Amino acid sequence: MASIMRPGLLRQACHATAAPQRFMSIRASPLAQQLRPTFAPSTIPQSTRIAAFHATRRHQILPALPQKVEGTANDPTPVPDPSPVHGSYHWSFERIVSAGLVPLTVAPFAAGSLNPTTDAILCALLVVHSHIGFESCIIDYFPKHRVPLLRNIAMWALRIGTLTLGVALYSFETNDVGITEAVTRLWHA
Amino acid sequence: MASQRIFQLGLRRTAASGFTRTQTAGRIVQRRFAATQNVNQETGQEILANQRLKRPVSPHLAIYRPQITWYASSLNRITGILLSGGLYLFGIAYLAAPTLGWHLETPSMVAAVASWPVFAKISAKALVAFPFFFHSVNGLRHLTWDLGLGLKNQTVIRTGWTAVGFTVVSALYYTFLV
Repeated sequence: MASIMRPGLLRQACHATAAPQRFMSIRASPLAQQLRPTFAPSTIPQSTRIAAFHATRRHQILPALPQKVEGTANDPTPVPDPSPVHGSYHWSFERIVSAGLVPLTVAPFAAGSLNPTTDAILCALLVVHSHIGFESCIIDYFPKHRVPLLRNIAMWALRIGTLTLGVALYSFETNDVGITEAVTRLWHA
Repeated sequence: MASQRIFQLGLRRTAASGFTRTQTAGRIVQRRFAATQNVNQETGQEILANQRLKRPVSPHLAIYRPQITWYASSLNRITGILLSGGLYLFGIAYLAAPTLGWHLETPSMVAAVASWPVFAKISAKALVAFPFFFHSVNGLRHLTWDLGLGLKNQTVIRTGWTAVGFTVVSALYYTFLV
């Protein structure tokens, strides 16, 4: 019964043996199975009969890493301190940056290009928006408990990259024509 | 009524007669005849870690039906990475250009692009226009969701396909006609 409610358990349990038995059961005698009186016990093992019900392939992205247990088996799961405003200002800041990008993105399409001040604001917001976006990608795909070193490397690479981009865009804004004007000229080249 | 209750109580007392009398503790104590062995702390941890290896793993993305809801969400991130990645690469290349002898000033870039064949120009424009318009329009969807609006499933599906339609129309327009 537990295996019906939690098929994952069952798959783990019968994966090793299910495939060859299923193969054999097709080849052996399905007719004998059909003619079998209802009260006679099945020759196919229970686990195989249930495994045939799961039609999808076993298909996992990454195998489980070696597990390590923090503390003892009887320790409770650590619960983080509940804080109603944790990340709230951060979240609002992200939305404000994104919302600020909307008029700055629409304006060049209406006006052709932006004046230097507005262009500089657009650059600054793009830097912040990109940094936040990449940061959330790193947080999602390089979990701290799984790849702590890679997580740190990625974060520092991002910080250095963002700083470089900031300097580069400052240089581009002061020495060149500004990004909206540059894109316009490139588009019509 | 009263006689019925007295009869029921009598029945219960008969059924559970063993518990009405006081008993010594030794008779109620459970006994389990399971084979157990003492292991040290490290072996216990090892057994537990090996048990955890047998826990179910999250299923592969491919088992989910392709739907506009989660496809648009993934595309939003992918297009964002493409656009920002391009910006980062350009920024780094622009700073490295004087050292490496490249010319990434606007006039020389415009001159370089002008010498490309039409096919290359159109491909490059499409490569920028599709992610740009999709990320911009889908960003508006995300901002409305953050205000708590349009979160019904049907609405999400409808706005998703609207975003796709707008992306295709405007990207094609800016790729071929501008």
